Amino acid sequence: MKVPESIKTVFAAIRRQVTGAPLMSWLFGVLVAVALEYVVGYPLARALGLPKVPALFGLTLMLKQPLLIPSALLYTTIIYVLPVGLIAKFSDVLGNAIAARLLKLPFVVTVMVHLGMLYLVFHLWTGVSDYRLVTLKFMLIAILLTLSLNLINGYMGEFSCSHPGFMALGAYTASMFTIGLFTDNRLLGEAVFHSPLLGYALFPLMLLIGGAVASFGALIIAIPSFKTRGDYLAIISLAFLFIVKSLIENLEFMGGPRGLSGQPDWATLPMVFSITVAGVWIMNNFVTSTMGKGLNAVRDDESAAEAMTVDTRAVKMRCFLFGAFWAGVAGGLYAHVIRYISPADFGLTKLAEILAMVYFGGLNSIWGSIVGAVGISALSEVLRPLQMLKWLCIPLLLILVMIYRPRGLVSFKEFNLRKMLSPRRTKV
Amino acid sequence: MAMLEVTNMGHNFGGLRAVDEFNLSIDPGQVVGLIGPNGAGKTTIFNLISGIYCPTDGEVTFDGQNITGMRPNEIASLGLARTFQEMRLWRHMTVLDHIMMARYSKFTYGLIGAFFGTPKRIREEAEAKEMSYEYLKLFGVDQYADDYVTNLPYGAQRRVEMARALVTEPKVLFLDEPTVGMTPEELDDMIEVIRGVHERFSLAIFLIEHRLKVVRELCQQVKCLNFGQVLSEGTPEEVQDDPKVIEAYLGDTKAVV
Amino acid sequence: MNVDILVQNIFNALQFGSFYAIIALGYSMVYSILMLFNFAHGDIFMTGTYIALGVATVLLGWALPTWVVLPMTILLAMALTSVIGMVVERVGYRPLRDAPRASAAITGLMIGIMLETGVLALVGGQKVAFPELIKTETIHLGQITLTNIKVMIVVASLVMMAGMHQFVKRTKWGMAMRAMAYDFPVVPLMGVPINNIARLTFGMGSGLAAVAGIMFGLAYPILNPYMGIVYGWKAFVAAILGGRGSIMGACIAGYMLGFIEVFVTMIASSVPWMSPSWRDLISYSIILGILVFRPHGLFGESYSAKLRL
Repeated sequence: MKVPESIKTVFAAIRRQVTGAPLMSWLFGVLVAVALEYVVGYPLARALGLPKVPALFGLTLMLKQPLLIPSALLYTTIIYVLPVGLIAKFSDVLGNAIAARLLKLPFVVTVMVHLGMLYLVFHLWTGVSDYRLVTLKFMLIAILLTLSLNLINGYMGEFSCSHPGFMALGAYTASMFTIGLFTDNRLLGEAVFHSPLLGYALFPLMLLIGGAVASFGALIIAIPSFKTRGDYLAIISLAFLFIVKSLIENLEFMGGPRGLSGQPDWATLPMVFSITVAGVWIMNNFVTSTMGKGLNAVRDDESAAEAMTVDTRAVKMRCFLFGAFWAGVAGGLYAHVIRYISPADFGLTKLAEILAMVYFGGLNSIWGSIVGAVGISALSEVLRPLQMLKWLCIPLLLILVMIYRPRGLVSFKEFNLRKMLSPRRTKV
Repeated sequence: MAMLEVTNMGHNFGGLRAVDEFNLSIDPGQVVGLIGPNGAGKTTIFNLISGIYCPTDGEVTFDGQNITGMRPNEIASLGLARTFQEMRLWRHMTVLDHIMMARYSKFTYGLIGAFFGTPKRIREEAEAKEMSYEYLKLFGVDQYADDYVTNLPYGAQRRVEMARALVTEPKVLFLDEPTVGMTPEELDDMIEVIRGVHERFSLAIFLIEHRLKVVRELCQQVKCLNFGQVLSEGTPEEVQDDPKVIEAYLGDTKAVV
Repeated sequence: MNVDILVQNIFNALQFGSFYAIIALGYSMVYSILMLFNFAHGDIFMTGTYIALGVATVLLGWALPTWVVLPMTILLAMALTSVIGMVVERVGYRPLRDAPRASAAITGLMIGIMLETGVLALVGGQKVAFPELIKTETIHLGQITLTNIKVMIVVASLVMMAGMHQFVKRTKWGMAMRAMAYDFPVVPLMGVPINNIARLTFGMGSGLAAVAGIMFGLAYPILNPYMGIVYGWKAFVAAILGGRGSIMGACIAGYMLGFIEVFVTMIASSVPWMSPSWRDLISYSIILGILVFRPHGLFGESYSAKLRL
């Protein structure tokens, strides 16, 4: 495909204008934009003839009501494009100075400041509509899920199909604790503790227990699977998924096929955000350590890895259990966002969804997982007005990605935090 | 007692006797060669000693410890490193990662360190990195440290592989046809590299080779293998002149003449 | 327990086994030559059933007698479904032959979703009835009662599988398939057009799936677009149980799965503390148990293939 020369020059000019800005300036620009929307979003939307504040940058709206495209574009330009662009352009000197100053302090401070800004952006952005809040929470959870499956399918190079099963284990375990201990429930009886505050404080612990149970499930698969090479794991894990699903269907005290509802609303945005950040941080630490890179060695050549003193069996086992753990944690969060779970949520459809995110985004890459998770969930929200046809568009897109980039969009890309957060121009 | 002692080792693949009654003893610092026609069972012997296969019978002791049937990574951690005929580098890893990976068993930071980036991990990884650069310099491939191995020229890949094996700090090094597919110049370089390694680390080396030149230059002792059995052993000259060896390589010379 | 129920259950098991076996055959054939699972196969089976439904409805609309409609439906449905199978191969698998195997699995999965959505969009999510192309009759053999459809399905499947076996054993195409299964890289060097063989394999597997679909429609005349997922994945499990790439194994394991399911249900409904909904739980546990002790399935050889990245 040939891009006209004039368009190229325009893009190059835009690039030149903004590449000097560090991440700091961008975040600040977005922060201003969402604050602007928080304050004047609704009146502006009404003035432009939009029914309400466009939830996802007007994209859904454009598909639903093509007549409103100009207004939606205008709205997005005024609220997002202009403020972000201008601030990124004009605050680059200041941004670079602040970023450089921050880097002189311990690195943790820089990271915390950026994360704080990011959280503030999320907070303001979701303050406008509940739909945004739920969508964002699901996206964050999807990042955890995708990354944890990428550990197994990308970094380790096996093919695991049991992720929804691990999710279900985590979701049900965490729900049993929260519902059973802290709420009055028809199935699980009266609350043991009557302090929601205590429950909220202990919620991360319950998620951890959920993750641990999922890891235990993974152990059951791992013991027979890693004796044999080849696509054995794919098959065993698929059988495991079916077994977990039908096991839950048959456990009446957990609601059986009707599911379990009434989870307390503890998966708030700060909770989901901080757990996702922690998860990404820990998984990133893991894969950048030599111990974690052992996974790549095992994937690329197992015999060579063994000959170079790598304990391949332990490497595979650890990675699989670790991936399952985060799937369990993500499952627990998922259950408390949606506040109703049934075995049908954790079937092959979910599997296809997570696999799509992993392979769309890119194997062996933290960035890839974030791109995949955010991309696919955003697409499936934006294309909602197409109804069923959505399920023709997304698979088609994924097939194209697989044909032209078989390892996904951003595969094999390391996540270099320091480079990302440092100033862009050294002249300060 | 020798450092590596193999007694009466044998192995069956199904009904095929791949290796039969193999004996070997290597003292510290000794260089032993293993020659033989294709399919004679040379690589199988390597795989048996280094733990990829488990010998059907016989015994392998290393440093006074019985290592028969131990897992390859355990054997490697004890100080028995090897290279592969087909190199077996990791396609998606950089050269530096290759070398650091071979330090795997020396890391003690454990899972907690891997997850949370503890000071212990940072220290150990930094030490390993420093050491890896040292080895890369030693083999003259430090300029490739951040490149993927698949982008390197063949000779450099061979050196990376050798560095990777050596950074495990072995006492004995197994080299499986280190000069396969090399030009005469690369071959001479490789001989120098091996000799340098031998002197610098005072290693014992056990070497599979097809090219007699390499064997003559490096080995004090040679074994010739055919159909899994030792045909002849002794100094390179003795083995080279042994009529049984000539026959195994060239067929029955009398029939030709 | 009386004999009648037992024999009926045996025939039920044989009937389900026939569906599973024929679908599993398609999975195994593709696996044996490409070392890939065609994850769209379950949905190809579903699409084949709907194509048959469409063809039969149109033909019946022309007031043709059923003895004309049935063979024509079978032929047309087989042909059209084979074409779909070949398109799947061309679009989803051939461009990815050098890519990691997992990527091809993903395209297969996605094509499956697209087929499913396509059918959903065309006919809607409600259940549709398959026309009665064969009049159901009950056969009495002493105390035992059977329907003619059940007997026909079992016999027809056995005949098809035997035919398939002969095809792979005797014809030059079958020989090429076996050669590809044995050593893929060498086969093109021997002048075998691998693309044609791959296309043929997908086409034949899909054609068989269409026949399975028609038989399914005759036996259980209520269709919905999700049947592809339900039966397709079960057949996939059977293909694995039989041993990846083993055609004989896929057939036998298909019947085994039928027997396990039917008899687990039978036993579970007669034991007071169990319920028939335990069927999946118990049958998958049995399969998992078998696979733990026979990692390569019943008739599979050990492959040391690893997902290429």
